[in-house]
Amino acid sequence: MFRAIRTRQTTLAPLVLLLPAFTVMLFVVAMPLAFSFYTSLTPYRLTRPESIEIYIGARNYIRLWDNAAFWAAFWRTILFLAIALNVELLLGLGIALLINKLTWGQRTLRTIMMFPMMFSPILVGFQFKFIFNDNIGIVNNALQSLGLIDRAIPWLVDAQLAMFSIIVAEVWMSTSIFAILLLAGLLAMPRDPIEAARVDGCNSWQVFRHIPLPFLMPFIFIAMTIRSLDVARAYDIVHVMTGGGPAGRTELLWTLIARVGYNNARMGEANAMAYVSTLLSIAFTVFFFRKLMAARRYMGGAE
Amino acid sequence: MKRSFKALTLGVSAVALIAGAAAAEMDYGSFDGYTLRVKLIGGAQYEPLYAEIGEWEEMTGATVQILSRQNHFELDREIKQDIAAGTLNWCVGSNHTSFAPQYGNIYTDLRELISEDVLAEFVPLVLEHSTVGGRLVQLPRHSDVSNLFYIRSLYEDEENAAAFEAEYGYPLAPPETWEQVRDQAMFFADPPNFFGTQFVGRDEAITGRFYEMLVAEGGQLFTDDWEPAFNSEAGVRALSWFVDLYDAGVVPAGVPNYLWDDTGLGFASGSVALNLDWAGWAAFFNDEDESAIAGDVGVTRAPMGSAGLRTGWSGSHTFSITETCDNKEAAASFITFLTDHDRQMVEARRGLLPTRTAVWDTAMGEFREAGDDFLAEVFETFQTSMTEDAFTPPLIAEWIEVSNELWPRLQSAMVGDMSPQDALDKAAREALIIMEDAGYR
Repeated sequence: MFRAIRTRQTTLAPLVLLLPAFTVMLFVVAMPLAFSFYTSLTPYRLTRPESIEIYIGARNYIRLWDNAAFWAAFWRTILFLAIALNVELLLGLGIALLINKLTWGQRTLRTIMMFPMMFSPILVGFQFKFIFNDNIGIVNNALQSLGLIDRAIPWLVDAQLAMFSIIVAEVWMSTSIFAILLLAGLLAMPRDPIEAARVDGCNSWQVFRHIPLPFLMPFIFIAMTIRSLDVARAYDIVHVMTGGGPAGRTELLWTLIARVGYNNARMGEANAMAYVSTLLSIAFTVFFFRKLMAARRYMGGAE
Repeated sequence: MKRSFKALTLGVSAVALIAGAAAAEMDYGSFDGYTLRVKLIGGAQYEPLYAEIGEWEEMTGATVQILSRQNHFELDREIKQDIAAGTLNWCVGSNHTSFAPQYGNIYTDLRELISEDVLAEFVPLVLEHSTVGGRLVQLPRHSDVSNLFYIRSLYEDEENAAAFEAEYGYPLAPPETWEQVRDQAMFFADPPNFFGTQFVGRDEAITGRFYEMLVAEGGQLFTDDWEPAFNSEAGVRALSWFVDLYDAGVVPAGVPNYLWDDTGLGFASGSVALNLDWAGWAAFFNDEDESAIAGDVGVTRAPMGSAGLRTGWSGSHTFSITETCDNKEAAASFITFLTDHDRQMVEARRGLLPTRTAVWDTAMGEFREAGDDFLAEVFETFQTSMTEDAFTPPLIAEWIEVSNELWPRLQSAMVGDMSPQDALDKAAREALIIMEDAGYR
């Protein structure tokens, strides 16, 4: 009998201990998700709260299928994500490798490197909006003063340049995340294999290709996962710099969703868009986690 | 209590508000210990009025708790969230004639709270614009209409005058028509150092500019049975005005992203010849510490389109009282105070257009007495404009949503992605769906 009670206690104890966590998850994550999913099945308008009671099935999702503006924003977000992540990776890796070489002032540089992360994305947006302003911006003024151009370049208007300008702002703000994570990886890396490789006559590229790079791959994929989630929900910088325009040229998923949900008050439709967008984030996360697992197996000598 | 405040205002206003001189003597009631919860529009232009709130608190014994103070677009989102969440537990909110129809019946009819005598002191057209579905849901604080500012010395230069007349065949003078604005903008432009004119290019700002140009060209947004009609010949003429100037490079290349701050600061920098703007910028344009063109600014009434009508897209910043307010009398007292003669003078001195008839005269008299002929001229011009030219967008809940379909298409035409006709046709199709969904058709 005592054994039975003890067994039940042993079975219940983890559940009781986990209960607070489950409760928090239920109220903070699961319920809002379930509620917003339900609203995506309604014509819910913020200004007409009673519209939340009208069930319309998958109509919002079916409408999305034919919504050219949504799909344009969807593919533009993927392109934006791909370019920004890769540029940030290359620059972050370069910065991390350079800082890792330093023997003096490394701590100071590490701190300075984190400065861009301390700015709010809205401030970064305003800063780059001014830098790329066609009339009074410093980029055009510098180019004109140097005699390189005789007409103002419409940085925030031209189809390619506008996305380029936003990517520059995003990269400026977030490259240091890659740099910090990769620098942490480099600092944790044992030095012996590198020295052994050099003794064996490997050149610098061969050493980097076969020792630090594989070692850094898990760190790279962790950074990629974090940043892909961040970039996929980019809003502030784009909203401030171009508002998604002109003519939708820089419209990303979340600027579109915010306009539909808040400005147009069509929260049901916006939530349907948000759920499809979440699939994009999940796809990227799964992709990078698989890569992370593969890299770890490789590091563990399984491959 | 409702009756007592109304009776109070009726009685007091009859004797105390003669020529607005004795507004300070008005009895705003007593609300000892009451806390009035408000959500107000924030920003440099709007804040000076709020410094007066302490006086109302002292007079009435109430306390004002400002729950929110942000720009109107953010405030609009917050109010929509409050509606959705059922948290309209505040009394007074800043509002705007363009936004008010979206909010359904959350705001109370002020005619039940504020006496007709007080309301009679407001400009009738502005009160009409503040009425939604037959209910006066807003008390106007200051109005907004645009007129044309220009750099005066450009027109006084004899060489300019001779060269312009030789090229265009008529004398150089501040423009009377938008066709003349186009000619003069082309004539003055010397990009990238100097531009002929400029315009706001995104959000509801460009929708409004297009809308007023459409009206001036003889067109209309909707037919009488709410079918979008802006893709007419008049619509194409209106949009082509913007497209032509953008193509010719006589406006800054970044205008598709410009909002009011960009155009105001751009004109003050002295790099733009002609600028259609609201009066709120007038004092700034003529301020030697802020503006490169101080003392060299002229103002003229907004030009006419080919239909002989002047542009006059107008709206007013207003205050509203929620239906759920727990003390509507205190709220009515508060917004009456914030829009009284003396409070409107606080804003008028900064160039904001009053909504009380008497304040126009007091303000112009004060400007002349102080030797500020420019601000007096600005007020005269804008008064004419508010009386004769002003019109609002359709006061329907779907206005902002239709605008959100229209402005990206206007931009598409501007940056050359679509022809003006195709852009307007596409926007009209999208607007039709909105109107059908809303049950108009």
